[in-house]
Amino acid sequence: MRHLKLIWVLAAKDLRIEYRSRQAFLTTLFFAVLILIVFNFAFDPGSASTRDASPGILWVALLFPGMIQLNRSFQSEMEEGTLQGIVMSPVDRGVFFLGKLLANWLFLLAIDIFILIAFVVFFNFAVEPRLFWVVLLMFLVGGGFSAVGTVFAAMVSNVRIREVMLPILLFPIIVPIILAAVNATREVLIHNDFSTLGRWLQLLVAFDVIFLAAGFLVFDYVVGE
Amino acid sequence: MPSASAAPQPLVRLVNLTRKFGPVTAVKNVNLEIRTGDFLAIFGPNGAGKSTLLKMVASLLPPTSGEVVFLPNGSGPNRSEVGYVSHQTLLYNELTGRENLTFYGRLYSVPDEEAAAAEMLVRMGLRDSADLPVRGYSRGMKQRLTLGRALLHQPRLVLLDEPYTGLDQHGSRLLTKILVSLREEGRTVLMITHSLAEGLELGSRVIIQHRGKLVFQATRDEVDRADFENLYFKAVER
Amino acid sequence: MQSTADRHLTFAAWLLIPLYIVGVVALWAAFLHAPTERVMGEVQRIFYFHVGAAWTAFFAFFIVFVAGILYLWRRNPFWDEFGAASAEIGVIFTTIVLTTGPIWARPIWNTWWPWGDPRVTTTLVLWLIYVAYFILRSTLPEGEKRARFAAVFGIIGFIDVPIVFLSIRWWRTIHPVVITRTGARLEPEMFQAMMIAVVAFTFLYFALLFLRTAMRLQNNAAEEMTHIVRERSE
Repeated sequence: MRHLKLIWVLAAKDLRIEYRSRQAFLTTLFFAVLILIVFNFAFDPGSASTRDASPGILWVALLFPGMIQLNRSFQSEMEEGTLQGIVMSPVDRGVFFLGKLLANWLFLLAIDIFILIAFVVFFNFAVEPRLFWVVLLMFLVGGGFSAVGTVFAAMVSNVRIREVMLPILLFPIIVPIILAAVNATREVLIHNDFSTLGRWLQLLVAFDVIFLAAGFLVFDYVVGE
Repeated sequence: MPSASAAPQPLVRLVNLTRKFGPVTAVKNVNLEIRTGDFLAIFGPNGAGKSTLLKMVASLLPPTSGEVVFLPNGSGPNRSEVGYVSHQTLLYNELTGRENLTFYGRLYSVPDEEAAAAEMLVRMGLRDSADLPVRGYSRGMKQRLTLGRALLHQPRLVLLDEPYTGLDQHGSRLLTKILVSLREEGRTVLMITHSLAEGLELGSRVIIQHRGKLVFQATRDEVDRADFENLYFKAVER
Repeated sequence: MQSTADRHLTFAAWLLIPLYIVGVVALWAAFLHAPTERVMGEVQRIFYFHVGAAWTAFFAFFIVFVAGILYLWRRNPFWDEFGAASAEIGVIFTTIVLTTGPIWARPIWNTWWPWGDPRVTTTLVLWLIYVAYFILRSTLPEGEKRARFAAVFGIIGFIDVPIVFLSIRWWRTIHPVVITRTGARLEPEMFQAMMIAVVAFTFLYFALLFLRTAMRLQNNAAEEMTHIVRERSE
């Protein structure tokens, strides 16, 4: 379907731009690793309570680069007014949303995987199949986060204090996925308890579907007129 | 069978077009008919609402009241029939000229977009820098590329918002050449410009906008070029 | 022909009568009709007002949601003002709930803030969303863009609230919080008092809503007048 192709055209454009200025990816990655390291200094490494808190640390370390990336994805469109260029074209605004969403989602997933590696190293986890579930969680969280985040990032793209505005708008809304991600990670990685995993996964999938649909429907009101 | 010299068909009609931003009225009750093949030069002081007017025709802004009617089907603005050039380049600095054009070609469903892009690059004199990132282009090159972007999908209506801004002599001359060729092709063009000379040179019709309203309208033949400057200043005083 | 603002003032005025009546009944029910609770004593009576305020806080947000949809559909600026007025009242009630809650609950639950309690924490998140709504409005100049964005944020926020509640509820069952619901069994008189309080607060909400909407509309009209006068004198 033509729409699917356009989604990819839009996402590919964003990814290609990211690739050209790889510096942005690396800087964001570095920032996330830095947060992990700072937390290691802030808490007593090796203690049981730190280990129990480590899933929280992981996900917090992922949130901030996520916010930065969301803001940047619209910065590139503000510079030379290219946002208007897309809005002015015959492309459906919902399709535009999905294209941005896909690019942000993939970018986040890439960062997440590297951070997971750093996390395993710093907090001394074994490399084992259970980590797969964490990757799955990252995939699902990335979707919901990007869905709501793309809408809000578009809203604040013109505002001067956007770096602070985006978290203010986004954090309350993503409380459910933070809870799901942190708790599922903790249960699986630390307590080796899979009983609640299904429920959290369901929550994440539901969140993703709901806000993907919502974003698709409202994006026209955000970028169009 | 309509002959070649048949009266030009109306293309766009602006009906009681008004646009407010909060309490401020930027465009006030504009009525205008644009015919196919018109080259309309729009003059006016800063803040007259010219850019706002153009944006409404480009469907970037909806009117507060009134409408923009595209005549073949009598409906609202058709985004694929309009090409728009503004102060901003609407180009991606990290991508090459070719990649920019191909991208827009895909957005506008231009058939065989890669060939169309290549052709446009040649026409705009950018063949040699086609595969360099736009970041390294000069202002004039960017201007030509963005014009190419606007023309790529063969729009029936071309909207230019002060295209000469920031161009040096060389760039200006190249731009004029391209605009003249557009006019000769019979393309419908609306151009906002501060340069009275350029506007009169290229335009087949002129309008002056002041404080949101159209205060003057004429065809080029009706206008005395030598006297136009005085006419303009009289129209926008008060 | 009354202006919209005047009409809303009239609605508000008309509501004052039933509000007064139900208000008096609610006070009677809360202080005299309902029996004294065994464990907490008289202090427990705050519960009725607490529930009323909490209900209003969430209902107000529902109205923000509806107003947002209506604005996006109709593009009538009235709905933006209506939604913003509702949000103002909502955030005030939410603040009341959040501040009176801990004061009342600390002696009983032995903690200022029961994170695991889904109702309490969801109310906190609601408060955060309200505040974010206003901060968003404050960063944008008056106009239809601000109205559009506020509407979108209100819609997304409202969809989110039930999900937040659910996620906290699930979180709680994993870490069972050492808090038991007091007054698990409500005497019929207590239940009646609670329902009457809810009704009273709803009347209060609507009266305030119409009043505040009228004020906002009049404010806008005054501003537009100022601008027109300024323009004419140029």
